[in-house]
Amino acid sequence: MKKRYTRRDFLKHAGIGAASLAAGPALLNNVFAQTPGKRTLRILQWSHFVPSHDKWFDVYAKEWGEKNNVDVVVDHIGLADLRSTFAAEVAAGKGHDIVEFIDPPSDFEPAVLDLADLNQEAVKRFGKQLPVATKSSYNPHTKKYYGFCHGWTIDPGDYRKSLWEKAGKPNGPATWDDLLVYGAKIKNEQGVQLGIGISQELDSNMAERTLLWSFDTSIQDESSNVVLDNPKTVEAVKFMIELYQKTMTPEVFGWTAASNNQLLLAGRASYILNSISAYRSAQKDVPEVAKDVFFTPALKGPRGTAHACEHVIYVTMVPKFAEKNADLAKRFLLDRVANYDRAMWESKLYNSPAFFSAPVPAGERGYPAVAKSKSLRDLHNAWFGKDPFALPGERTDKLLPLMDAEKWSVNVGYPGAANPAEGEIFGTFVLPGMFARVAQGKQTAEESVKQAAGQCKIIFDKWRAQGLIGKK
Amino acid sequence: MRMPRLFERETVLAPLMLVPVALYMLLLVGFPFLMAFVYSFSNVTVGNPEFHMTGFGNFSAVLRDPVFLKSLLNTCIFTFTSIGLVLVLSNMLTELLMREFRFKWLIRFLIMLPWTAPIALGTIGYLWFLDSVFSPLDWLLRSWGLLGKPQALLGPMSNLYWLGRPGLAMASVIVVHIWRLLPLATMIRIAGMNSIPREVIEAAQVDGAGYYRRLFHIVLPLLLPVISVTVLFSTLFTFTDMTVVWVLTKGGPPDNSTQVLASLAFLKGIQGGDLAQGAAVSLFFFPVLAGLAAVVLRLAKKAVVT
Repeated sequence: MKKRYTRRDFLKHAGIGAASLAAGPALLNNVFAQTPGKRTLRILQWSHFVPSHDKWFDVYAKEWGEKNNVDVVVDHIGLADLRSTFAAEVAAGKGHDIVEFIDPPSDFEPAVLDLADLNQEAVKRFGKQLPVATKSSYNPHTKKYYGFCHGWTIDPGDYRKSLWEKAGKPNGPATWDDLLVYGAKIKNEQGVQLGIGISQELDSNMAERTLLWSFDTSIQDESSNVVLDNPKTVEAVKFMIELYQKTMTPEVFGWTAASNNQLLLAGRASYILNSISAYRSAQKDVPEVAKDVFFTPALKGPRGTAHACEHVIYVTMVPKFAEKNADLAKRFLLDRVANYDRAMWESKLYNSPAFFSAPVPAGERGYPAVAKSKSLRDLHNAWFGKDPFALPGERTDKLLPLMDAEKWSVNVGYPGAANPAEGEIFGTFVLPGMFARVAQGKQTAEESVKQAAGQCKIIFDKWRAQGLIGKK
Repeated sequence: MRMPRLFERETVLAPLMLVPVALYMLLLVGFPFLMAFVYSFSNVTVGNPEFHMTGFGNFSAVLRDPVFLKSLLNTCIFTFTSIGLVLVLSNMLTELLMREFRFKWLIRFLIMLPWTAPIALGTIGYLWFLDSVFSPLDWLLRSWGLLGKPQALLGPMSNLYWLGRPGLAMASVIVVHIWRLLPLATMIRIAGMNSIPREVIEAAQVDGAGYYRRLFHIVLPLLLPVISVTVLFSTLFTFTDMTVVWVLTKGGPPDNSTQVLASLAFLKGIQGGDLAQGAAVSLFFFPVLAGLAAVVLRLAKKAVVT
């Protein structure tokens, strides 16, 4: 017979439910509790675009823990959730011991430890750090290392060689003007467009900064003053509008970060600005397209300047609430740099080191030994000279133009350091808006630049008041 | 074991049974709301939980921001167009589903389908549907000769670029939001229709009232309480929701063509790091929405009484 559910049963079960609700915070508290006798190091980072990297890293972290008598827990989450997750941890005062971002998270500076000692030790052990890395993890105003940068990713131009050969430019564009002239020719004669986004997403943000820098202008100067409203920015905006009108379609306004990859893989883009991950995806999914994809370094602007934004910058932070594990975190991060050859290899050369002079560890490293490679620079040069991941029958020298990418790659905020104002301008898509208003005929280039500069000044003033950016 | 006599008393038991709901409201609704309220008058950032009170500074800064004003306009367009169309469409669907026909269960099932999948997942499906390269909708239009040819009705381009053109992008987010809201609105309307006594409708029919007279003079007035509640919840829900916009356009195409207040609050507060201004944006229309809620609830109550 079916048992009748009485009011008393209900009260009893409701009581258990209420007790569980009350115990909830205590249970949550235990999630971040230490295991007695053995310390635990918790790491939060993004799910890498190249899955083999995470597969290796998780094993590496576990083995590192075993060697150091530490439980290492690695949580990978989607890139889009990283900021909100860490913001929640900062508000709660509890969470992971190491948090890794792929853009400069300078607005979290007040919530994290100063890693000056870690950075100094790393320089002592591994040699000079690349400026793009230092400028993405050090605040020159507060003189605080809010992060530690172990690596970065190059952001080259990816072009379809067969299309550019037919257009009479077999080695792809060397200047922004080439992009306009030959890009238009390819679109008109071969029906294939360019793929540089003007959308509210990451890649468009980087592309527009790349264009501004190559036109000798920027949002801020070296001393964090807003200098966007100048004739060179207007020139860059006018150029971009002409480029859009002659070589692209309205789809570039509605792109997500994956759209330019998709366009390249679909064989419908003659040139995109993206890391080599787009090419690696093509190698896996559409090898015939991959074999036709080649790379250019940063394109030269009208006065010969050539800069490109780093595509990814790995900045790790140790929150103040994790101070008791700071020694472990710093040891882990130093060892991570010491093993960066594996990160380069397992990410299929997506990761480049911030410390090129770091020595290559001896012994079996999980990849074919490279003769005479003593430092990461030697390895980098050898692999970029002869790509070990090239498909059978594919040219192996495609990455050669990117060998010295650190010379033309710069940080968000260049020529100054990364700061929270640059971060907010990046995160709220002020630059894509500046270009789009003109492309859609809503404003002249001069008006749009003035509006964007006004928005930037308000944002800079706000963060100045927070004490994170220097006075004018 | 007998329960203490105290629990047999309604004056004790009733408040006791309300405790879980009250706790839930207090902890998961009241406390975050209070925090947002305090934050909106402060200079708090995501990276610095310590803050100072700054008065109405955030609100005046937000009011001077052209992106806020644009987002406000977009929110009104998004909300009122969606709700208006949901009302009309749910009325049509209700009329259809109140009649007997073959495979009615299948139609009901299909209409309810959007509620069975998480909205983010469904919207990702639409992302593919409206893709700038692979859109099956564009493929259909091309195959019907409406797109991609020099003389085609919708233009010579191979795609419509739904999410790349401001007007089409706004239309897209509205259509997807309607797809999301329509099942609930329809089911509420059907429930309301079922509660109208059949003899009232039949008496009107006998007196010679046609379809539109019955609809506007009998059915809709009797349904007013139900419609009021539907409108209230749909409006509040749409005004404060960002899922569809965030997944489809992230507020784009630039310059913030589909940005709504909820997505702007997230953009400023979390992506931009300025938690205080994000809170100010999200709370800006709280008094208006609270007033709207009070008016509609009063209207519904009055309609029930008369």
